Amino acid sequence: MSVKVDPNLMKDLKAFGLKDANKCMQCGNCTAVCPLSTPESPFPRKLIKYAQMGLKDKILKSPEPWLCYYCGDCSDTCPRGADPGEAMMVMRRYLTSQYDWTGFSRRFYTSEKFEIIAISIVGILIGLALWIFHAGNPNMEHAYLNSVWPAPAIEIADIVMGTILSILLLSNTWRCVRFTMGDLLKKIPLEIYITQAKELVIHFITQRKFGECTDRMQWIVHLLIMTGYSTVFMLVVVFLAGGIHVIGLSWDKIMFQRDVIYPFFHPVRLLGYYATFAILYGTTYAMIGRLKKSKPQYKNSHGTDWMFLILLQLTTLTGIFIHFTRLLDWPMPTYVLYVIHLMVAIPMLVLEVPFAKWAHLAFRPVVLYLMAVKEKYKEQKGIA
Amino acid sequence: MEKKTAVYICTGCGIGDALDTEQLSKVATDEGSVPICRNHNYLCSQEGVEFIKNDIDNEGANTLIIAACSHRVMYDAFNFENCIVDRVNIREQVVWCQKPGDEDTQMMAEDYLRMAMAKVDNMELPEPYKPEEEISRDILVVGGGLTGMTSALDAAKAGHSVVLVEKESQLGGFQGRVQKVATFPYKGTEDNDLEALIQEVTQNEKIKVYTGAKVDKTVGGPGVFEATISQNGTTAEHRIGAIVLAAGWQPYDPKKLDEKLGFGASPNVITNVMFEESFNGGEISRPSDGKDVTNVAFLQCAGQRDPDHLPYCSSVCCVTALKQALQIKAQNQDANVFVVYKEMRTPGQSEDLYRKAQEEGITFIRCQSPEVKASGESLAVEAEDELLGEAVIMEDLDMVVLATGMVPVTAFGMDITQEEKEKKEEDEAKKGEEDLDDIPLDVIRRSDLLNLEYRQGPELPALRYDFPDSHFICFPYESRRTGIYPAGCVRRPMGIATAQEDAAGAVMKAIQCIELTSQGAAVHPRVGDMSFPEFAMQRCTQCKRCTVECPFGAINEDEEANPLPQITRCRRCGVCMGACPERIISFKNYSVQMIGAMIKAINVPEEDEEKPRILVLACENDAYAALDMAGINRMKYNAWIRVIPLRCLGSMNLVWIADSLSKGIDGIILLGCKHGDDYQCHFIKGSELADIRLSKVSETLNRLALESERVRFETVSIIDYDRLPAVLDEFAETIDEVGPNPFKGW
Repeated sequence: MSVKVDPNLMKDLKAFGLKDANKCMQCGNCTAVCPLSTPESPFPRKLIKYAQMGLKDKILKSPEPWLCYYCGDCSDTCPRGADPGEAMMVMRRYLTSQYDWTGFSRRFYTSEKFEIIAISIVGILIGLALWIFHAGNPNMEHAYLNSVWPAPAIEIADIVMGTILSILLLSNTWRCVRFTMGDLLKKIPLEIYITQAKELVIHFITQRKFGECTDRMQWIVHLLIMTGYSTVFMLVVVFLAGGIHVIGLSWDKIMFQRDVIYPFFHPVRLLGYYATFAILYGTTYAMIGRLKKSKPQYKNSHGTDWMFLILLQLTTLTGIFIHFTRLLDWPMPTYVLYVIHLMVAIPMLVLEVPFAKWAHLAFRPVVLYLMAVKEKYKEQKGIA
Repeated sequence: MEKKTAVYICTGCGIGDALDTEQLSKVATDEGSVPICRNHNYLCSQEGVEFIKNDIDNEGANTLIIAACSHRVMYDAFNFENCIVDRVNIREQVVWCQKPGDEDTQMMAEDYLRMAMAKVDNMELPEPYKPEEEISRDILVVGGGLTGMTSALDAAKAGHSVVLVEKESQLGGFQGRVQKVATFPYKGTEDNDLEALIQEVTQNEKIKVYTGAKVDKTVGGPGVFEATISQNGTTAEHRIGAIVLAAGWQPYDPKKLDEKLGFGASPNVITNVMFEESFNGGEISRPSDGKDVTNVAFLQCAGQRDPDHLPYCSSVCCVTALKQALQIKAQNQDANVFVVYKEMRTPGQSEDLYRKAQEEGITFIRCQSPEVKASGESLAVEAEDELLGEAVIMEDLDMVVLATGMVPVTAFGMDITQEEKEKKEEDEAKKGEEDLDDIPLDVIRRSDLLNLEYRQGPELPALRYDFPDSHFICFPYESRRTGIYPAGCVRRPMGIATAQEDAAGAVMKAIQCIELTSQGAAVHPRVGDMSFPEFAMQRCTQCKRCTVECPFGAINEDEEANPLPQITRCRRCGVCMGACPERIISFKNYSVQMIGAMIKAINVPEEDEEKPRILVLACENDAYAALDMAGINRMKYNAWIRVIPLRCLGSMNLVWIADSLSKGIDGIILLGCKHGDDYQCHFIKGSELADIRLSKVSETLNRLALESERVRFETVSIIDYDRLPAVLDEFAETIDEVGPNPFKGW
């Protein structure tokens, strides 16, 4: 059975940021130079060929886009200026939109206008909600956030949001799993899935594959952003009221949103500082890189790339300001900044996590884990 | 001319240290009774040259033997007008490759001096050949396409009158039927501006254009060609100096293609040539119904690079397909265009056109053997994509364009060798006649282009795939007929830019030919040689060897089979001289007798001295140069050898072998050029002919009770100098084993 050539896919991929892939003449230098490409999963050339030939189904089944961390060696080496690294990035955007069953992701990626409007609407809704639902008598003498928006109430909202996001992200991830594994999904015994689960955790935390790239600076920056983000996520979402308060699990000593400020060497405060520094450093590095186009991976910036960095940095900056106004005990600025902080942070979480760039925090480790599962399965089959 | 010989021995470059030059002088003065013999320690210096000139002016010396370096160097210093000059190579081939001060080295140098004295005794000063008729300086260009017209203009600009003959009713050739062109610098497609060139040609008063015409007959040779041109039933005669053959090409017949390619299965399967011809009005549309085209596939190498069809690459089809694809894209940006290729061949800057096509979104598929599937209205192409490792299908195609290749017009018409063979088979009586079957004959087809009245056939001989090219790297623009230079697609497939360059190159060669012929000198490769072959006709036996073997068809034949040499066609290689069993052909400064005398001049020691002698007959174009190179690199080789350079190994006459052996020389080795398809012989088949002649020698040797190992043929190119000493040493060992020649001292 021969596959149908479809030149229209290339036109479609342009909306996801594909620019130069049609310059590729299939020499394979990119694949040869890539430190992560293997004979079993060769990339980027193969994916570019799929794109050129319009083989949508094959792209959908390909794990390779998630195996690439975009070090940019391929783009530097390409003799035609076909920018294979960017093509892989485009594939990740395209796959994210294909995994998403709501169709929201596709619109988010293919229209900058839609992206900005969506972010704005969510931001304004959050602003309005905070304006409307606040406690009757806010403390105007001291900067006590709990007097305006009590932590347990925020926590409930937090859990509702978390649940919706998780459902969306997990359902998309499930589609990712199904596409990538195909028929193998059910053939592989559960036991392998369980024994290989450690891979998921390892890849998530260490991103050790990224460390195999030639340019290790990118790995460090990526680790900073990821760990910073995860720390804040733990502090805010999990420890907001000192644990999951609504189900009775809480411990006052690690509560994040409380009116009395922790002493300097308190672990929560130190973790907060680390996260602030890590995110700020990482995003600033990436933003300067993108402005100066200093590295291949920073040469092409899709609208979603900028949106992601801007929202993350704004969230961090507003967080820092809140910290200072609280230290200075200025009530009104604190409350206003808090509203702005959430107006930035929540759209970022709601839109970026299941539908856009943030989604890769799930897809990438999951695909790497599935690759490990597959390998183990093949190994066992080989022995049997 | 009364000869007065003078011998000069240079003692520079280490010669004086390695040889006893006084002893060497005695060979000249005592043995040769040469009136003047002088030594000088720097003969090629201005002072040294003056030293020789002094003797020419004051002593009347006119036959100079200069024992110094190889004749391949310092030829401009030792250039003395109206003097017979011979160079004895005692530097590269004696002192630089032999043990200094050794007895054998001294003997070698002395022998070379003896050989030189014998040589000049048998030499005359050449006189340039002047034909009776006046030399014409006009150039005939056959073919009025892009190449032909460019040639005509280039020749006219250089001051030559041109006769341009085009078989069609108007100028332009294939390019005249093309709407868009893609050529240097290959940034995209451009409008075809051939009309401007046609205007320029027709308005040039130095160019006489015949359209709807052909060359009926060409007789004579360079400088003295007479071409009969017929046009509409009338004929015109022109005297011509040299000819540029730019007769072009024909597309390969698509009906012969593999059925898989679908030609004929659907009207929408066309060729690249049909694309140009049917859409040159403008709109590109579906051939079957004239509707718009949105899906088009180009299949490259249709019957090309394929041993069953055209085994070669036509070199332009990739660029043509890109151009046509871009034309479709320019008409409809949303059209889906596929190019299925074996390899994209876009050399040099034409790579930019490939890039452009990629940027325009044309899809490229690498496949060795695509298949067209046509049924009723539907048209699809299935291709095994090598880069994907899977079969892909392109459906709903409006048009498939097959890239068929270029066939030179010289490929059409019956091969005369074939004709002869058939004739011979019919005519039983002729079978018994003298057998010339062993001589390799050229492929010459009756393609009705030049209609040469040459004994060897009416058109240019073809090399591979019926292209009348020569070995282009070594001999650019040469054909195997002197004064006729093929250019453009008749020579090899090429695009516009190359064809224009080719036109200029061929015209340059034509002009050189006219210039040299008018001086009475030879053209490439013995440029400027004033000698020419003279036939002692009273002894001719009409055996036809010379007329058949001449690699350039320079010798015609009368009805009684007497050779009629056409000297302006001659390249002075001496193949005829080597071929002639009666030894009636000689040059003023190169003859059977002269070489024979040189062989006889070699001093062959008695058997008990245990100093065998080996004669090396070396082609002076490559093998002799390689021997020099070995010397320059100070490589040592056997001291028994004595080298005689030959113009071409094809000029080797078998009598020399007999002479050598009867004189007691123990072994003979022939060093010639590579022959066959990738021949390196400057005279095309000289070394091959020598090899064939030699094969007959072993019989003679056996008859004389001599071992056939004594004679050997080796092919050598100039770069083989490093293995040459080993070849010679190994041959010397063989001769040593075989033992001394029993004819010694007879």
